[in-house]
Amino acid sequence: MEAYKTLITNNKAWAAEMIATDPDFFTRTEGGQEPHFLMIGCSDSRVPLEKMTGALPGEMFVHRNIGNQVWSTDLNLLSVLAYAVNVLDVPHVIVCGHSHCGALKAAMGPETNGVVDHWLSDIRSTIRWHADELDAIPDAKDRLARLSDLNVLQQVGILSRTPLIRDAWARGKRPVLHGWVYDIANGLIHSVVDAVDSEAIAEELLPHN
Amino acid sequence: MRASPSWRQDAPAALVVFLVAVPLCLGIALASGAPLFSGIIAGIVGGIVVGLLSDSELMVSGPAAGLTVIVLGAITRLGAFESFLAAVVLAGALQMLLSVLRAGVIGYYFPTAVIKGMLAAIGLLLILKQIPHAIGYDADTMGDESFRQASGETTFTAIASALEQMQWGALLVALITLPLLFLWGRGPLRAAKAFPAPLAVVLVGIGMNKLFTLFAPALTIAETHLVRIPTPASLGEFFGQFTTPDFSAMLQPAVWHVAVVLAVVASLESLLSLQATDEMDPLRREASTDRELLAQGAGNVVSGLIGGLPVTGVIVRSATNIAAGGRTRWSAILHGVMLLVAALLFAPLLNTIPLAALAAVLIHVGYKLASPALFQSVVHKGRTYAIPFFATIAAILLTDLLRGILIGLAVGVTVILRDQLESPPFTEVSSPGAVLKRLQLHDNVNFLHKTALTQMLEKLAPGSRIEVDARHTRRIDPDVLEVIHRFSETALARDIDFRLVGVPARGSLLPR
Repeated sequence: MEAYKTLITNNKAWAAEMIATDPDFFTRTEGGQEPHFLMIGCSDSRVPLEKMTGALPGEMFVHRNIGNQVWSTDLNLLSVLAYAVNVLDVPHVIVCGHSHCGALKAAMGPETNGVVDHWLSDIRSTIRWHADELDAIPDAKDRLARLSDLNVLQQVGILSRTPLIRDAWARGKRPVLHGWVYDIANGLIHSVVDAVDSEAIAEELLPHN
Repeated sequence: MRASPSWRQDAPAALVVFLVAVPLCLGIALASGAPLFSGIIAGIVGGIVVGLLSDSELMVSGPAAGLTVIVLGAITRLGAFESFLAAVVLAGALQMLLSVLRAGVIGYYFPTAVIKGMLAAIGLLLILKQIPHAIGYDADTMGDESFRQASGETTFTAIASALEQMQWGALLVALITLPLLFLWGRGPLRAAKAFPAPLAVVLVGIGMNKLFTLFAPALTIAETHLVRIPTPASLGEFFGQFTTPDFSAMLQPAVWHVAVVLAVVASLESLLSLQATDEMDPLRREASTDRELLAQGAGNVVSGLIGGLPVTGVIVRSATNIAAGGRTRWSAILHGVMLLVAALLFAPLLNTIPLAALAAVLIHVGYKLASPALFQSVVHKGRTYAIPFFATIAAILLTDLLRGILIGLAVGVTVILRDQLESPPFTEVSSPGAVLKRLQLHDNVNFLHKTALTQMLEKLAPGSRIEVDARHTRRIDPDVLEVIHRFSETALARDIDFRLVGVPARGSLLPR
């Protein structure tokens, strides 16, 4: 059997299994969604956002791109964010990076990658801003791991300064921002920054560039 | 105040207002149970004194039909006309006091719908009430505005009686003059536009009656159906018609009572007329209401001192003034001067005018006040405007002017309050279907909003998420604040996510 067809077969099995454990499951989700989380993650296939967190359908609103980037000019991301915050009223927004990230590795290296280089330009800026710290780390693996943390911190910082989040915070301490990194080597998540729910805390915990 | 350059419009308008005023002044005096000449005096004073002092350019003042019931009762109660005059002077002084106290502001609180309804009702009344006069039946006096007339008939039975007792001569005058008024200045009569139509109609009326007398005596209009102004034989007799108040009557509490009632009712009627006149002013001028109270007060002091009825601003004559092309106060003042000169010199000439011709003029004014276009525009303005408008019309037609307006005002205020009660004090700012319903409270939240807000909160389903945003609210009623906070305390138990943004703490008397 061709590999892609397995996906369809698996899907049938999955749907049947869902109904077997919870007969009303699909009729319930038909009515609409009230997810608790917006997860901004990387497109990397080794990072299964829902599976690794045990999130059920309807619980997590998701946006993914290469390097889990937050650009304040990215209409795609801003639409997802606006919908999640203003319409779905999600209590938590999580930026989730991961170890062994190809995008970060590429940004650190000298080689060119065609059109993707445009997308990596902000990661390169982050690397330059933290050049002193990163250059001091002798091991390349450790350096990349540190960059994973710094990248997530940087994205949460940009998120905290978007008018959307500022406006939401002016109305209440919501949504709460979090920064995580998922370790591909052991499947575990560690927190980089947690519980950012106001401008004051954002000023304290997040980098200013 | 210098001689007006617009006398070309004002002088003919003054003449028309004067001609309409003569039978109105006499009719109101008759209905009030006062000497006929007291009506003319009030007309003179209303024109000259009030005209000079008022801030309004177009309103005409004089004896008012709305006061006849009060005046008739007061004269009977006080026993002597001279005592009543003292009350009129006193009422004038009280009005001047009201002006100093700036009571004129209440004039700005009359809803437009009620004023427009009043104008339309007066228009309809003019048409209905003048039909008997137009066909020669004068059991009711000119200028009566109540449904139940002194003659014991109602507006509609009077028309029926009139049909039985009509005078063919008067009917002919009305049948010819009325179409003339509508067609004047149009089509073949275009050339005649410069000449005021009402004046032409009066002349046609006089001419027709002369022709009847000469060629068809059977059609001659009876004297009862002509203008009847008292005819003084000498200057002495003329001045003999003026009476002076008996100020010793001021010791009676009843005089003070009458004075207060007169001051309040006359002020209300004047302010209503003022708003109505401003409403009709083609140049959209707006007159000061406090200044009007002063002018009306001075008018009543003068009128009372020389033996006249109380004056108020009057709508029919003001509307006639505007319809006849009056532009400035000089038309009102001149109409007063004309009343004075006519009473002195031209009474016999005026007494040849058939009432049917004047009735035709008033019917035409009535048509302009209650035009079909007005009713159409009102219906387009929607429920909250149309209800008080039609209620005012119905109330005035079935009772009288003053009572009708009070009913109309009550209906108007009720509709406004109901509208306020039903309209929620917030705007939903979240997009449709949003999980979080965001409600932005309005700039000013008052106690009337309590019901709508409470009802909205009670209807919230468990599981709903609500955000009440008061950041743009400058004033919030303490009761409403209490409702919000109390709901906030019980929200958790109801499984409702209730968030407050910028809502002041409970008990803060002056939020923000």
